[in-house]
Amino acid sequence: MAGVLATERTLPGFSFENCKRNSTLLQQGFKPPTAQKTGTTIVGIVYRDGVILGADTRATEGSTVADKNCSKIHFLADNIYCCGAGTAADTEMTTMTIMSQLELHRLNTGRPVRVSTAKQLLKQLLFRYQGHIGAALVVGGVDVTGPLLYSIHPHGSSECLPFTTMGSGSLAAMTVLESSWKPDLTEEEGKVIVRNAIAAGIFNDLGSGSNVDVCIIRKGSVDYIRPFDIANLKGQKQNNYRFRRGTTGVLSTRIIPLVTESEEIKKTEVESMDTSA
Amino acid sequence: MSILAYNGSAVIAMKGKDCVAIASDLRFGIQGQTVSTNFEKIFEMGPHLYIGLPGLTTDTFTVLNKLKFRANMFELKEDRKIAPDVFLSMVSNLLYERRFGPFFVEPIIAGLKPKTFEPFIASMDLLGCPNKPEDFVVAGTASEQLYGMCEALWEPDLSPEDLFETISQALVNACDRDALSGWGASVYIIEKDKVTHRRIKTRMD
Amino acid sequence: MGSERYSFSLTTFSPSGKLVQIEYALAAVAAGAPSIGIRASNGVVLATENKYKSILYEEHTIQKVEMITKHIGMVYSGMGPDYRLLVKRARKMAQQYQLVYGEPIPTAQLVQRVAMVMQEYTQSGGVRPFGVSLLIAGWDGDKPSLFQCDPSGAYFAWKATAMGKNFVTGKTFLEKRYSETLELDDAVHTAILTLKENFEGQMTSDNIEVGVCDDQGFRVLDPTTVKDYLANIP
Repeated sequence: MAGVLATERTLPGFSFENCKRNSTLLQQGFKPPTAQKTGTTIVGIVYRDGVILGADTRATEGSTVADKNCSKIHFLADNIYCCGAGTAADTEMTTMTIMSQLELHRLNTGRPVRVSTAKQLLKQLLFRYQGHIGAALVVGGVDVTGPLLYSIHPHGSSECLPFTTMGSGSLAAMTVLESSWKPDLTEEEGKVIVRNAIAAGIFNDLGSGSNVDVCIIRKGSVDYIRPFDIANLKGQKQNNYRFRRGTTGVLSTRIIPLVTESEEIKKTEVESMDTSA
Repeated sequence: MSILAYNGSAVIAMKGKDCVAIASDLRFGIQGQTVSTNFEKIFEMGPHLYIGLPGLTTDTFTVLNKLKFRANMFELKEDRKIAPDVFLSMVSNLLYERRFGPFFVEPIIAGLKPKTFEPFIASMDLLGCPNKPEDFVVAGTASEQLYGMCEALWEPDLSPEDLFETISQALVNACDRDALSGWGASVYIIEKDKVTHRRIKTRMD
Repeated sequence: MGSERYSFSLTTFSPSGKLVQIEYALAAVAAGAPSIGIRASNGVVLATENKYKSILYEEHTIQKVEMITKHIGMVYSGMGPDYRLLVKRARKMAQQYQLVYGEPIPTAQLVQRVAMVMQEYTQSGGVRPFGVSLLIAGWDGDKPSLFQCDPSGAYFAWKATAMGKNFVTGKTFLEKRYSETLELDDAVHTAILTLKENFEGQMTSDNIEVGVCDDQGFRVLDPTTVKDYLANIP
């Protein structure tokens, strides 16, 4: 029955058509390029009225900084957000897929989704791929049962914790959390701890850098502050390197004019279907 | 050796004031041997939409054909031009479908959004993770050199003429320090009412 | 459906060129509870009757006006179970579109895709056509739209329309009442009035359902809001 739609709808799931070729190339000594990693310091803490998530904003490709201000706190549902560390494409796509599934779940059940549902869907997906999807996640949110924070590892294990951190900067961030987290923090105290934990990652881990993003989830409201803190200001340029017009030698020029297409609105007569038969 | 260095390439895109620029080198080589010096790596996907596909050349064409198919199907089905951000999503999905056996391309998209004509640039890694910065995007074997050039040369709100000089000089000088790319370059400046395509003079060694 | 090679589709042309199954499906729609859709200048309204055959039914547990995505809603006349399947498919298609293209599905696209599903069920073996007509209301960036989708897979864009029981009188009523400058609030009022035209018994906030779609997205009005609208009706 899918025949009619088959031209557009590609097969669901991953395609492995290039795998054989790629492994042959590898045997001949052609290494596959490095994918973008987030490197990353991400943290999450539970405070008195909810959850605070934090992340740095650096993405790396090998040792090159590929993105100086990427967003690592992903939307899952109105009451749930998720920080991602690991392979950038994996964290991005995994959270998008689960966001979709949660929205369908919300519409089909007619109630806000629970954080544990998000956690369960994520870990089942990751376990199915046996760690080959390189996403390490911190899921936080507030639902009917209160504030909840989970960390999920790429192989699909998870734990529910009052404070947690992941990514290459997690060791630096954990030192801050271990020394300053306590139960019943206020929002202000919580924000400072999260900022300090991310800053510890930014300044001590090479995979993390740039700014601090923070997302505060309370019952009924969310504050996504991006950037929360610009930990590294770019220096002002002292001079500009603008080239004099005509510096570049032009061999040929072709101008493609774009005439703005006039928009025509066609009104079609509606033909009503005879339903009386 | 990385497979991305098999053919060699350099592609770059920059935002300007009410305009965007995208440029690439023209070399097509097989490892050390230069085969052609007239090989465009930038392709038109719409009046205000261009994509650069640096990487393994065989994949450049496979990906291009698959994208053209999907973009054409979209435009036929929806009876409207595809917007740059929608196109980005499409490319990103195409690449991520092959998460475990990727195409060796790192696409760069440049264009103006429909209606508002707001500049748009984006890049992706080979798995399709989108990256939408405010200044410039680079890819190819000369990417490290291009990063350096762009960090120094780029400034906000460049006019189309100045943007052309900036992107050209960034590309030309980056390619001079990359043996695998260069041998001519092609620059597109995309504005609301016209696209200017220039072939520029470079070292041929 | 490949395994049943000799199971012909239920919908086979009659010698006179009719697909009687589709006509029977339309009859099922015409016998179903009425639903109204009106496109106003700043939004769309969907309204339907949701009567209970016995006072023993628990009210407000089964919804007829459903949200598909944040900016699209749907209602039906005809068979409830068939409708719920289509709602599920529509929601999934909307999510799929969002994932592939990174932007919300245009209403016309959703309608086209739902219609395609309905068409498949008129031509495939081992299935029967859907016994529902759908009204789909959407908001695309800056403008409202209202579509009807029939069991045959045909779809139409309307300014205002009625389906289900007494749809002819409903349409006549709307033709008299409709104006291009109608605002959403008045449209809700008109929709309820149209339902009331053929309503048997007392109309309350418990036996009608109203959904609206405007720049804020789609939402089903809660019974207290509906009650307020009903209070303004003579």
